Amino acid sequence: MIFIAILIGCILGAILGFNAPIISYTYSSYLAIAIIAALDSVFGGIASVIKKNFDLKIFISGFFGNAILAILLTILGQKLNVDIYLAAIVVFVWRMFMNLGTIRRYYVEKWSDMLRKRTNKKEAEEK
Amino acid sequence: MTNKKIISVILGIMCLALTLGIVVQIRTIKSTNSTIGQNQEANDLRDEILRYKERYDNKFKELETAEKELEQEREKATQNDTELKEAQQKITEGNKITGMTEVTGPGVIITLSDGKGVATSTLNPSQLIVHDLDVLSVVNELINAGAEAISINDQRWVLTTAISCRGNTIDINGERIGAPFTIKAIGLPEYLAGLERVGGYLEYMKQDGVGVKLEKSNSITIPKYSGVINFEYLQNVEE
Repeated sequence: MIFIAILIGCILGAILGFNAPIISYTYSSYLAIAIIAALDSVFGGIASVIKKNFDLKIFISGFFGNAILAILLTILGQKLNVDIYLAAIVVFVWRMFMNLGTIRRYYVEKWSDMLRKRTNKKEAEEK
Repeated sequence: MTNKKIISVILGIMCLALTLGIVVQIRTIKSTNSTIGQNQEANDLRDEILRYKERYDNKFKELETAEKELEQEREKATQNDTELKEAQQKITEGNKITGMTEVTGPGVIITLSDGKGVATSTLNPSQLIVHDLDVLSVVNELINAGAEAISINDQRWVLTTAISCRGNTIDINGERIGAPFTIKAIGLPEYLAGLERVGGYLEYMKQDGVGVKLEKSNSITIPKYSGVINFEYLQNVEE
């Protein structure tokens, strides 16, 4: 159910994106940082599902809140002539890797558990 | 179950927003032809240039709409007055001649492109490229043949136009222009086609290996001059 919804959302988004008017170059840097922030929230959400402390409200507020905050910080940085967006990218990508690490560890552990069980079973049968 | 449905709908909407953003962003970056290099400074400079180009395009559009408005206002103001109408006609006539309006008419299109030959010990590579002086000579011959309006790569030839060398490009009306050069001229096509005569400048260029093409056409559109002609020292002599 959830996977179907995600798939439909992705396909619809791609179709809409191909037909939507392109934005002007000045605003494309804001959109880029918003995309990075949103991606970070998605990985964070998956990691929290694995840790079993997933909360939908926190997930949604993080998705939109992080994106908007990142855009606002980028605008502020341009006004102050400081590359704040660099810091935002570093933080988001760093968190993305952390979350990816959590996800990877979970699946690798699951897999090795499965293998161990299988070998245990075989040994038991041989005996 | 309802809770799961709500979750899946919300996740679907979020994925939609995310993919929409990514696709729009990719298309935007593709349309600006910008590539991310490894050098931060080069990236910044490219960014700056693209920003300024966009701002320039926007301002240019604004200017065009403002000029249209001005034209309309002028027409409105002179609608009921014959004397003013005459003045208005004089202004349009003058603008046509000085290059401040888009004009159309019969004429020729000359295309000058760099030669494709390979430079050898006997062939000077400099001969194969179109120089500023070549363009200048062709324009001069066109004027001699009675051309009433000329444009080079859509840069209108006006009173203050100078053609000069700028490295591997040439400078016309302060804009950098590169080969191939498309020179459009409005006038009697038969006269203008006389540029192809034996011993003419075009033939001389052909012998050098430069790509020269001349086409007659019944309707050529030449854009207006986008700059401003500003005279400071010129004064009428009082009689």
